[in-house]
Amino acid sequence: MVHREVWAAHRRECNMVEQKKCVIDAANLVKIYQNGSEELKVLDDVSIQVYDGDFMAVLGPSGSGKSTLMNILGCLDIPTAGEYYLDGLNVLTATENELAEIRNRKIGFIFQKFNLLPRLTALQNVMLPLLYRGMDEGEAGELARGKLTLLGLGERLGHRPNELSGGQQQRVAIARAIVGNPELLLADEPTGNLDSKSSEDAMRIFRELNEQGNTIVIITHDVEVADQVKKLVYIRDGKLYENN
Amino acid sequence: MKLKQLLKLIFTNITQNKVRTFLTTLGVIVGTATIFLVVAIGQGGEAQVNEQYSKLNVGTIIVMPAQRGRVADPLTKKDAELFLASANIAQAFPLLRGNGTINYNNYSASASFMAVEPEFQTSNNLTAELGRNIDEEDENKKNRVAMVGAELANTLTDGNSSEIVGQNISISGRRFEVIGIYNRVGDSGSGQSYDDAAFVPYSVGEKYLLGTRANPTINVQATSLDTVQAAIADIQSSLDENHRAGGADQFRIMDAGSRLAAAQESARSMSMLLLAVAVVVLIVSGIGIMNVMFVTVKERTKEIGTLKAIGAKKQEILNQFLIEAVIISLVGGVIGVIVGFITVPILRYFELAAIASVSGVLLGLIFSVVTGVFFGFYPAWKAADLSPLEALRYE
Repeated sequence: MVHREVWAAHRRECNMVEQKKCVIDAANLVKIYQNGSEELKVLDDVSIQVYDGDFMAVLGPSGSGKSTLMNILGCLDIPTAGEYYLDGLNVLTATENELAEIRNRKIGFIFQKFNLLPRLTALQNVMLPLLYRGMDEGEAGELARGKLTLLGLGERLGHRPNELSGGQQQRVAIARAIVGNPELLLADEPTGNLDSKSSEDAMRIFRELNEQGNTIVIITHDVEVADQVKKLVYIRDGKLYENN
Repeated sequence: MKLKQLLKLIFTNITQNKVRTFLTTLGVIVGTATIFLVVAIGQGGEAQVNEQYSKLNVGTIIVMPAQRGRVADPLTKKDAELFLASANIAQAFPLLRGNGTINYNNYSASASFMAVEPEFQTSNNLTAELGRNIDEEDENKKNRVAMVGAELANTLTDGNSSEIVGQNISISGRRFEVIGIYNRVGDSGSGQSYDDAAFVPYSVGEKYLLGTRANPTINVQATSLDTVQAAIADIQSSLDENHRAGGADQFRIMDAGSRLAAAQESARSMSMLLLAVAVVVLIVSGIGIMNVMFVTVKERTKEIGTLKAIGAKKQEILNQFLIEAVIISLVGGVIGVIVGFITVPILRYFELAAIASVSGVLLGLIFSVVTGVFFGFYPAWKAADLSPLEALRYE
């Protein structure tokens, strides 16, 4: 179960805007990489708010710091300075195990290279986040099957990733991200490894998921992707801009 | 994650990666089979020694000349009588041994013969299967009679051994009347079988067969196992007193107990040596396991990153790799034990004593799991310790 009592210590009231819950509330994020004696400031005082139901893209060229931002927002990395609240939880004071639980319950990752486990079937891949929650196999299988069917992979449940096309793999990855009903879907260059047809499919799925109420943040350098979201921010040289 | 699901995930990983699993298992199989066989050979050796000495009465002390052949100051029947003065000695009788040609009708055999007192027969469980034993009267009257061992009787009569009783045989050219055939006793433990020898009364052998070359051995029986050392001391002082020329130093005094102990000791040191070899094999196969585990972890670092990104805790990753290592080692251990069981009869075929035993099975299995966990732990720990980001970025 979620460590509600532990997390309560990290909790704070969300800023409400237009009656919407603030999913991501990050302020003054700084990330500095030490490369020998040289300091590399990858994120420079970045503040970002994402509200419930948002469909946002962070657009930036490679080396702009967008991957670092995504890692920090996804609780995979820790900023050098700043504040970060995810669904009201203070991420920066959470322990390693609490972070694992936050990633498991609050965030659904979609990776550029899909990152499916090669030895597991599509169904097993999608079940995995639920199993790490301690859910029973039967219940997890039911939910996973439902999501895969919803994404048109009902016939592919027993296939391993190498038996699926890139587009299909991406849909398995999306199913895995949404199966646990996270507060936030975080997609890193979700179309980077797809042909244009599959890219369109993927973006259509994201749009539909957003219409159903999912909060989505896409990190990308692809302007076409950026065109299809409701809210766009730019990142360049570690700084975030509201407009280009 | 629930244990059942974790095991399922591990099972999928193991079965979906057959080459790697096979390579890891191979090391464990070899290691476990080695341990099992080392124990089997060690126990076989010890059992062999015990079997060899089982017919030897551990209270027996043998006094013999330090040199073979003609000696200036040999032991005599009188020495045996003097030994009996000691309170620690129950029995003492002299014994002569020789080799010669034994003839009966047209058959002849080159065999050993012994000149013995009647007590010799009882203390060596020799009884007449046909005819009668040598008795005191034969000894005192120097009757020219002989007993033959079961095997020798067979040889001389071409299988029709009963006919020899009552007939004459010649030993080294001297004629003796056969009064009986002994029961079969097998190996006496001193490396020579009584079944192949001929026996005559001590006084007769001394007079007719060996004469001045007589250089007897004296068999002494201590009153109990505890008095063996005291009896040896008594024998030494008696010899010192009665053999002025060189005292007890011209003779060797051996007790069966210490010979048995020495043989057991050497069997045990053989076992230890084999065990040392096995330990080396284990370390090598353990390093093999660690190697494969390291490669596995490297191959799967990105997967570990993904698992962490979707919510796997450090402990869960660690458990996954550790349980995987334990399962692989256990399976390898069981196969290794089976290989060992198959190898034991092959070793026996090549006349290497080996006994499959429960302790061998346990030791082999314990080894395999300990090695698996020990050498599986470090790579697993390294894997679990990676930050999710490091793991995800790993190419």
